[in-house]
Parts: sequence; C-alpha cells; structure tokens
Amino acid sequence: MAGNADTSTAADRPASSGWSGGSVLVVLAGLVAVAVLLPLSWIVIAGFRVGFAGALDLLLREQTLSIVVNSFLLVGAVTGLSVLLAVPLAFLTTRTNLPFRRFFTVALAMPLVVPSYIGAFAFVSAFGPQGQLQDALAPFGVETLPTIYGLVGSTLVLTLYTYPYVYITTRASLKSLDTTLVEAARTLRHTRWQAFKRVTLPQIRPAITAGSLLVALYALSDFGTPAIMRYDVFTRVIYVEFNAFGRNMAALLSLVLVLITVAILAFERRAGGEDRVQTDRGHGNTQSLVRLGRWRWPAAAFCGGVTALALVVPLGILGLWLVRGTDGVAGGLAFELQYVGNSVGIAVAAALVAAIVGLPIAHLSARGSSRFGDVFERASYVGYAVPGVVIGLALVFLGARYGGGLYRTGVIAFPLLVFGYVVRFLPQAVGSTRASLLRVSPALPEAARTLGRSPFGAFRSVTLPLIAPGQVGGAALVFLTTMKELPVTLLLKPPGFDTLVTQVWQATASGHYGHAAVPSLILLFVSALSMLVILSMEGYDVK
Amino acid sequence: MKDDIYMDGTERFSKSSRRRFLSALGVAGVTGLAGCNTSGEAGTGTNGSGEGTATTTDGNPPWYGSGPGAFEERPTPGGTSMDDMPDLSGTLNVYSGRGEALVGDLLGFIESKYPDFEVRTTYDSAASLANRIVTEGQNTPADVFYSVNAGALGFLADEGATESLNEGTYSLVPSEFRASDNSWIGTSGRARTVPYNTNALSADGVPSDIMSFPDHDEFAGKIGWAPTYSSFQGFVTAMRVLEGDADTREWLNGIQNLNVEEYSDEFQVVQAVADGEIQLGFANHYYTLRVLAGRPNAPIDIAFTNGDAGAVFNVAGAAPIAASSKGEMADTFVRHLLSSEAQEYFAVKTFEYPLVDGVDPVGRLPPVSELNVPNIDLSKLSNLDETVTLMREEGVL
Repeated sequence: MAGNADTSTAADRPASSGWSGGSVLVVLAGLVAVAVLLPLSWIVIAGFRVGFAGALDLLLREQTLSIVVNSFLLVGAVTGLSVLLAVPLAFLTTRTNLPFRRFFTVALAMPLVVPSYIGAFAFVSAFGPQGQLQDALAPFGVETLPTIYGLVGSTLVLTLYTYPYVYITTRASLKSLDTTLVEAARTLRHTRWQAFKRVTLPQIRPAITAGSLLVALYALSDFGTPAIMRYDVFTRVIYVEFNAFGRNMAALLSLVLVLITVAILAFERRAGGEDRVQTDRGHGNTQSLVRLGRWRWPAAAFCGGVTALALVVPLGILGLWLVRGTDGVAGGLAFELQYVGNSVGIAVAAALVAAIVGLPIAHLSARGSSRFGDVFERASYVGYAVPGVVIGLALVFLGARYGGGLYRTGVIAFPLLVFGYVVRFLPQAVGSTRASLLRVSPALPEAARTLGRSPFGAFRSVTLPLIAPGQVGGAALVFLTTMKELPVTLLLKPPGFDTLVTQVWQATASGHYGHAAVPSLILLFVSALSMLVILSMEGYDVK
Repeated sequence: MKDDIYMDGTERFSKSSRRRFLSALGVAGVTGLAGCNTSGEAGTGTNGSGEGTATTTDGNPPWYGSGPGAFEERPTPGGTSMDDMPDLSGTLNVYSGRGEALVGDLLGFIESKYPDFEVRTTYDSAASLANRIVTEGQNTPADVFYSVNAGALGFLADEGATESLNEGTYSLVPSEFRASDNSWIGTSGRARTVPYNTNALSADGVPSDIMSFPDHDEFAGKIGWAPTYSSFQGFVTAMRVLEGDADTREWLNGIQNLNVEEYSDEFQVVQAVADGEIQLGFANHYYTLRVLAGRPNAPIDIAFTNGDAGAVFNVAGAAPIAASSKGEMADTFVRHLLSSEAQEYFAVKTFEYPLVDGVDPVGRLPPVSELNVPNIDLSKLSNLDETVTLMREEGVL
C-alpha cells in the first residue's frame, strides 16, 4: 500500500506536450485559487492604509500580544479536545459493537448543524451564573454557579460544535481502512492498543489532521462564541475596530490573522505528513468488529453524554423560547415559509458552485503531479480563516468598485453572495473531494488511458463516478455551513431577501427570542437532513 | 411602597425624586433571556396584540391613544402630520441600523400611506452599514442611512457621504440634535442612565456624579458595563470631551479596580441588574423600560447623574446619502420620521424621547428639559476611533 504512494503521480501526468489535461487542470485550479484569494486584495489595500507607524504601534502593543496568546490557547484547546473526543467516537461508531451504533453514528455528527453562536447562547442561558440551571437549583440553596465565561466556556462550546469535522473525516477513513493489516499486527502479538497505534493511527492520521484543520481555523475565525463567552481573542478585537468604523485597522488585523493561518497551514502539512494512503484492496473489511465487552455500556453512556450535552442544551433552550411564545409587537419578525426557500436555494447554489470549482484544485492536489497542487489547495483555506465580516466587506468593495450599475441595482447581488460563501467554505468541498480521489487507485484511469481515452474522457468515465460520493458529501457540508452563515449573508444579501439565519439574527438582536425559535428549529432540521446525506455518502464503496 | 405615588401613570419625575419613576409598569409580556445583541439596540418588550401596519378607521396609526404599547392615556400628538408633508413615491433604499422589530411597523405604515411608494430596507448593525456605505463609495445603492446613534451618522458626515437636509425638514428638530451643517438629523433620543437593583440599593445609594463611581468601594464586584458596545463607547467619548483623556483613563481604571462585570451589550447589563447578578450598571434609558415592560415586577429602576458624561443625551437619526440620485425623496422620507405619527411611535413603542415639539415622552420619563444634560456636540461623539484606542491602552478592550 505505501508503495503505491510514489507511483500515484503517473496516472494523470500529461502524456504529451501542449494543452494537455494536466496543464488545463493547473490553469483551472489556478483561476479558482486566484478568485478565492481576490478578497485578500482589499484586506491588503485597506490594511496598508493604516500606515507603517500605526501598524507597528498596534502589533507591538502588549494587548495585541495577549490576544494572540489567547487565540492560540483557544485554537489549541479546541483542536486538541476535538481530536480527543472525535477519534474515540469515530472508532466506537465504526469498529466496535457499540449499542445503538446506527443511532449514535448520526447523533454524534449532528452538533455540526447547530450554529456555534446559538450553541454559545444556549449554554449561557442554561449554565450562566443566573441561568436556567441555577433557576432550577435555586430551591436547593444554589445561589450561583461557577462561571462558564472565558476560555473554559469558549472551548467547551466550540469543541462541542466543531468536533464533528474530525469525527466525519476520521469515520470515513476508518471505514476505508484495510483491517487485514490490523489482524496481521494482532497475530504478531501486538496488543489492541499497539495495533491501533502502529497500524490504524498512521492510516487515519491524514483524516484526523484534515478535520482538525477545519476545527482549528474555525476556532480562529469565529467571532460569536468568544464574544458571548467574553473571551478576548483576535476576532473580538477585529470586531471592536470594525464597530468603531476602523475598517482599515480591522483589515490590518485580519492580515495578521491570515499570517497565523498560513503558519497553521504549514504546521498541518507537517503534522499530516504523507497522506496518500490507498490500498490495493479498496475498502476495508468491516466484519471484524472490536468487541467492547463490559465497556459496551460505559461507551454508550459516553456517546450519549456527548450527544446530550451538545444537542439537548440548545434544543431545550429553543424549546423554551417556543413555549414562551412571541410577544406580538415585533413587526416584520413573523415567520414566513419563504425564509426556508431562500435559505435552501442560496445554500444549494453555494454547494453546487463549491463542488464544481473545488474539483480542479482537489484533483491537482490529490494527484500531486505539480507543486501548484499543494499551493492552490492551501490557498483555498485562507478565506475560511478570515472572519466573515471582513470577507463580506472585501466583496462589497470589489463589487462596488468593479460592478458599476450592476452592483448598485443589485443585479449581481446573488452571484456575489454565492461567491462569498464559496470563498468561505471552498476547503470543505476540496477536502472531501480530495479524500475520495486519494482512495481511487491511479491505476484505474490509467487503464482507461491505455484503452485510448483522453485524460478528460478517462476522468469522466472512470474517476468521476468513483469520487461522486465525496463530491456530494463535500457539497452537503458546504450546504450545511452556508445555511448557518451570518456575516457575509448580512453584508451581501439583497434588501428584502430574508433567510432563516437573518431572521434568527433579527429576533435575537432585538431581544425577541420567541421569534427566533421557529427559524432556528427549521434551520437545524434542514441542516440535519444534509448531515444525513453526508453520512450516507461515506458508506458508498469506492473500488 | 415608596413607588406607589407613580402608579397613576401621570406623576412625573421631579427634581426632588429624580431617580425613581420607572417602577410598576403594568405591562405584561415575556422576554428575559440574556441576549447577544449585535444590532446596537434591543427591541421593545411591550405586549401588543399583534397589530399590523394598517391604519385605523380614522386614518391614525394603531399606536395612537391608549392602545397597546402606550403606558397611559395619551392625547393625539402635536407636531406635523404626515398628511401635511410632501408625498413619497417610487423606491427608496434605506440602510437601517435600527432593527426590523423596532422600526418595521413604522416603515410599513409609511408605505401603506402611499400606494406607489416602496421602502427597500437593508437591516444590519449601524457600524456595519456605515462601513459598507463608505466602502461602496460613489456606487452605493443606499439613498438613506438610518442609524441607532449620532456616532455612525457623524462618521459618515465626516467622510462626506451624507447630504444636507432641506430647511423644511431640519427645522423640525432643535439644533442641538442635528449636525451643524444639517448633514444628519436626530429622529429620537436616548439618555444615559445608571440602572440599579432596587432590592440592593435605594435611589440615594446611587452616586449623582459619574466621575465619583470609582471611589465607591461598596460596588466592588457588583457593577457591570458593556465596553464593546457602541453606546458605551459613545459615553466614554463624551467623558473624554467633557473631562479630558487623563481623567477618563483614571475613571476607566477605577471602575476596573472595582472588578466590574463585563457584558456584550447593555440589554444584558440591565438584565443582570434586574436578576440581581449585579447591583448597578451603565446603560441607555430604554433598556430598563423594556425589561420592566417584559417583567413588571423586576426589581430595577434608573438613576440619572448630574450634567456629566453619565447623563449624555444621544439620538438615533437619519441622513440622506450624497451618492444617491434621489436626494429630494430621501429628504422627504427623513421628514416623515419627524412626523407626529413617527414621533408618537418612538414614544410609545420604543420608549425613546420624541424630538419634535408637541410630542411628549411616555409619562414616567422626565422631559428632556428636566434632565441635567451636559452641553456637548453630538457629532463629536463620532470619534470612537481614539476612544477605542484609549480603552484598549487601559486594558478595557
């Protein structure tokens, strides 16, 4: 298996000179990478307007240092905890005789459908010093609860609502694992743990790092959670500047965030190591489940506990809002079915575009025939790590500057909005597609080539059907995250185009929580359906 | 009960009892969870009966008289009716930093008056929209900017993004509530206040000098603020203007030394005061009214300080956008926000201060003339940039 890694590049290498498939691919992937990096141009321009002295002053300030440290602490804690949580959960739900395995498979992925700001909100409402839990415990003399604010609360909430990134990627990898190797290790007198460490872990490590990267960059760029949890991180300072009309300063700070992102991306490259792990056997044998024995029920309790904490808290709070009802006066906050259609429509568009434009980058990167592949793939992550409000403003700038009357009259509002989503969420589509490409043996399209197919023909008739599940899974992930995206939506949506998430924002921002309940619950329901799509795609056999 | 004298709904705030007037508002309704408020202001908590935007049979808005949302029997407001203003027609793009829950009904009412007039409203936070208008430059779709505070308006005016109003419009509002070149105008007012928990403190227990708060060690760990909130930053800006940077820094540090509790917006500060999480805090006046509207028995009241930054009177307001080709229509639209109908709406629906002559605030609020408001140029409050820098240097942000 490992031997295949080195030969994998041969398949799609251009057979002849000129405009072969390979160079077309490089150009296409390059165009996409440049497009999603376009918003950076505004960030650089605006950031430079701050001037060297102002920039130096800001960057060398003690406060700046402390928020950088805080940000790293948060990113480290969230990423570490997500791995510690997600890998055992993925293992339990794929390779063991866990009770209610099918139920937990789905339930444990579901926290990803909960927007983290709703999660943070719910946790403060439930576990705040004077929250619902304290209310319930008050008759027993509990006056106040330990504070949930700060690093602890931010880490808890971000971990609970982002660990599924690692869970999903790790599960997919575990399912495609060649278990005969584990059995071989066992016959060589390895303990289960040794076999896991020496055989399984190296194989699933790329999947874990890929998921962790999404978690880390999410934690770095999220604003809502640290704000609600009152923890001073980079995004909060960016937000403060933005609110004080210091958009140039906000851009400059974002530029620093981009640099941190680049550092994380480089680090991930090292930690992920060589990630071309195909086996000749295709999918692993999932018959040989690890029998948990007396740990069966404690394991189920662990899974149940995570599910309960992540899902029951927000659902409980939303339910409470629903029961308490609306207070009538809030003009324009009444629920309309149209919001569902708007949300779904725009998210489907974003998912389709992301899946299509992500393909060249994924292909180039997975088939590694050119060093551009890595660069383009890394580039797709940058937009994901910049706070949405900065991406949104950058696109406002580009649209207004170059869109002319088309921008002013709102003709290009929807394309711009979809583009904004693609900039933010492209890596999710690229990652999923790339992972499925890595599992396709290059020998297959190669065989098609020897039978006289063109590179495109071979790709279309052989590779594409095999990676379709990965594409659909990636698109569903983009759909899901677009559904819950707020800052870019607010900045780029045409007037009168209200979605579920903008309604949730309108209602909570004005304190009309009753009006937030219905759109929130529908948002969760629709997103949950897309999560089912993601999970069903991982079962598809790639051979 | 000490507050019984205010139960009849007509008793006004007076100098001798300057800090007690908000108790026992008899309005039911449920709001109450701590909130994340990014729009810059929280909504009303009044218990309406879901009235729409349609006019009543006499052509008056549904919020006239003693109907839902009003705190008392109110006369038909004075001022200029929309009927006496130029007509509106066509389509107008309004960037509104005030939420749909707050102004949606009002905008709907204006639309319903003119069959061929449509308001296309973009709702977002005022800061976000102001940043957006400047970033969009000459190509902005916005015709009117409607803001929660004078700061965002002043910022846009400084950037040259707003257009001066006609005399027929700006003359409706006293000069202290509009830009000196009339490039923006206040449409409703809000006072800075000190909300306090009535179980923990008496009215006399609240200092009347904002600058003396740091000296009160008894508030250690029992006082709250929302330093990232734009209203609070406007208040600190006012303090810098009135007292100078050095004293402002000292004040910020003094409050920090009291182990001040930090919240992400002032609605949360007021909720925390009502919950007894803290004893007192810093917030705009209407948050307390809204909490009381939702929870009539909440142990909370407000105090005003005397002629200092703690008693600044700021405005929500509007401005026509210079890049718009619909300048006249934008001006007329802003004038509609100063009509009797709109001003009464602000009084009874958002608990704000009306700014035109002839429309009074709800009965339990003291009239502006009785507030000891410091003399300050509101447009100077737009300079949040330096305030943020100062607050950051003192470790507040």
